[in-house]
Amino acid sequence: MLSEWGSAIGRRLLALAPVLLGITLLVFVLNAVALGDPARAALGQRADPEVVRQIREQYALDRPLPVQYVMWMRRLARGDLGHSYHQQRPVTEIIADRLPPTVHLALAATLVSIVLGMSAGALAAARPGTALDHALVGAAVLGISTPVFWLGMMLSLVFAVSLGWLPVSGYGDGDLGHLVLPALTLGALHTGTVARMTRSSLLEVVRLDYVQAARAKGLGEWAVLGKHALRNALIPVVTVIGIGLADLLVGAPLTETVFAWPGLGRMLVAAVGQRDLPVVMGAVLIFAVVYVLGNLLVDLAYLVIDPRTRAGAAE
Amino acid sequence: MIGFAVALLSSTAAAEPKRGGTLHAVFGSDPPTLDPAQATDTTSSAVIRQIFDGLLELDERLRVTGALARSWTLSPDHRVYTFHLRSGVKFQAGREVVASDVKYSFERAARGKRPWVFEKIRGAPTFIRGQAADIAGIRTVDEHTVEITLDRPFAPFVYLMAYDAASIVPREEAEKRGAAFASHPVGTGAFRFVSWRRDDQVVLEGFPEHFRGAPYLDRTIFRIIPAEGTRFNEYRTGSLDISDIPTGHCRAAQKDPPLRDQAVVWPILGTHAVRFNVERPPFNDRRIRQAIAHAIDPTVAVNGLLEGCVTPARGVLPPAMPGFSPHVRRLPLDRERARQLLASAGFPGGRGLPSIAFHFNTGDLNQRIAELLQAQLREIGIPLQLRRLDWAAHIKLVDDGTAGFFRQGWIADYPDPENFLTVLFHSRNVGAAGNTSRYRNPAVDRLFDEADAMPVGPGRFDRYTEAEQVVLDDAVWVSLYHYSSRALIKPYVKGLERSPLSSAPEFLAPLRKVWLDR
Repeated sequence: MLSEWGSAIGRRLLALAPVLLGITLLVFVLNAVALGDPARAALGQRADPEVVRQIREQYALDRPLPVQYVMWMRRLARGDLGHSYHQQRPVTEIIADRLPPTVHLALAATLVSIVLGMSAGALAAARPGTALDHALVGAAVLGISTPVFWLGMMLSLVFAVSLGWLPVSGYGDGDLGHLVLPALTLGALHTGTVARMTRSSLLEVVRLDYVQAARAKGLGEWAVLGKHALRNALIPVVTVIGIGLADLLVGAPLTETVFAWPGLGRMLVAAVGQRDLPVVMGAVLIFAVVYVLGNLLVDLAYLVIDPRTRAGAAE
Repeated sequence: MIGFAVALLSSTAAAEPKRGGTLHAVFGSDPPTLDPAQATDTTSSAVIRQIFDGLLELDERLRVTGALARSWTLSPDHRVYTFHLRSGVKFQAGREVVASDVKYSFERAARGKRPWVFEKIRGAPTFIRGQAADIAGIRTVDEHTVEITLDRPFAPFVYLMAYDAASIVPREEAEKRGAAFASHPVGTGAFRFVSWRRDDQVVLEGFPEHFRGAPYLDRTIFRIIPAEGTRFNEYRTGSLDISDIPTGHCRAAQKDPPLRDQAVVWPILGTHAVRFNVERPPFNDRRIRQAIAHAIDPTVAVNGLLEGCVTPARGVLPPAMPGFSPHVRRLPLDRERARQLLASAGFPGGRGLPSIAFHFNTGDLNQRIAELLQAQLREIGIPLQLRRLDWAAHIKLVDDGTAGFFRQGWIADYPDPENFLTVLFHSRNVGAAGNTSRYRNPAVDRLFDEADAMPVGPGRFDRYTEAEQVVLDDAVWVSLYHYSSRALIKPYVKGLERSPLSSAPEFLAPLRKVWLDR
């Protein structure tokens, strides 16, 4: 078992290198093609040409593009992501600042989607074709298709402005109160996806012989679903959750904007606007790692949930 | 103007100020830096002004008063300023301020992001280019006296000494921290730095040993909230004490009973305008520019989109600017005249005119104003193509002269016509330095050169007025409206200045004067 895990992890990590190389090169080229000079963008309404020249020199923006890319890669090899043009501090520090809020929000939103999504999905699957099923499926579709910005504003208006139960926005001290509304907003989309996936996966599994056998043994419907069917129905659900988590860990600019949440998404959008290439490159690099690791976690979860994937690896 | 609530004086009532409490203020974006030498934006300045002091400062009516300088004198030839520092002023780190701190701070900032603040000082240009070890024109006479010599007289110099780029910093702290000084600033100001969580909040606390005495407030928290709707909700729930009125809510806020007494609108020193690159065909033909200027009616945007909460512009200078002349006139709306001008330029009814693009930067208001311009120019036969880009791309095309017709306003850094007119229209500033119209007029340059070097007085302002009228007649720049600050201020917030340099939500006002009446 250990070696299976080892090889799964090894394969994923090996795949990381070309992904990272490709994606950083792509971002670098896109940035070079995009209009705008970071030195000028950092200077507000009145730019002193001499200062623009100095900044360009300081950050080697006056060097040919391939040279700039090689310089960036060289620094990266030493674990240095460079300095932000705009904030003039290390990119690692800038990203590290955003990690706790981003991780908090991503985990909370994922938790929301697991709890609400799987319960709704299971409930709908238990009573297929009923009004309850239709209502839940409808709600799931609504969750998927509601614009995040609007949902956030509405939740904020109701629970923060009108009822006064929760704060309108901000990170607070990382307390639960500040987390609830952004987590619900961000979780809504994934809740819908998880619910639909749980429902369809369960409905597929309950038709299988072993579930019929469990029923024939005289087990109650909830025991059949909960103990026997759910475990097998979980694999596609776990995939959705895992990829969803990776999706959320790279930040959610709209939710972060509505709730003034100091996450990675807002940071990246601002950095792109400022043409702050070191920050953009650093963020994209982190995102790529998170995605690859997210997929790795999903694979590992398969190994835990489904013994056949282990046997398959051994054969 | 319609619905214009002009408040010249803040509500410093007769009541005795109370001590204590925390002011909850807000910004729309994170300050990029808290180092006065590195800042170029108003958000950074709004914090820097609380943590640091300069030699001088401006009061609500834009009068210059002493800050770290107890007094100052100007030599008869208007070139040498002698500043006498207060004694016993302490940095927040404990040490007393001495004259050499002034020299150090100015030289440090001159090699920062706003060297133009210091470039009038003798020897500054060579120092800025790295060709001198110090700025020769800054001399410490004794421990509490600094003498600053300019190359030539420059009346607005006192404003530069009150500008936040000219804040006094302690050498040992700045050198010890290096670039990290930007996130751990130390000054002499009424508030000292406590913490800053990026994109979330900046926290300051009162500095009890401030040379004017401890401020009334214990603390100030600047929240960073990018969405104006969210800021509005935070204000309504009482989590913010001051904020801005969201776009499109100006009239509603002024009518809505609970907000009515808290919504305050006042004019600031800024003008929204569209400009031409006069080097670029067809805008190198004055008649084309004039035709377009005659076809633009800013009142539609002012009364519709902006709900009458700004003033339609007649000239370049905003009415709150010292030296503003009510006699200056932009080319009036006159479509018949516009058509004649087009025809005389060889494009009757707009026929044969190359396609014209209007460049503007992303933003709802900018988009809608662009659409209005498009409709207004169609009336005289000019089809306008709209080119919307984000700020970085927009400013690039504007600076390098690619954009021929574009949106670009101006907000004064200090209250002098020089900071508007010379910056925007002197041939020496062509390009990113301010004159993006790339306008070169020797007669106008001469007026600016004379006025910039003249002592304060009517003769000086007359020259600016004359130059301003020439620029408007030449249709280099078409003013649309003058900006206003649209603020929400809770009734218990007292002493918050509403100067024309202060704009919601940043409020560049000195918070040491603010107290909470509750």
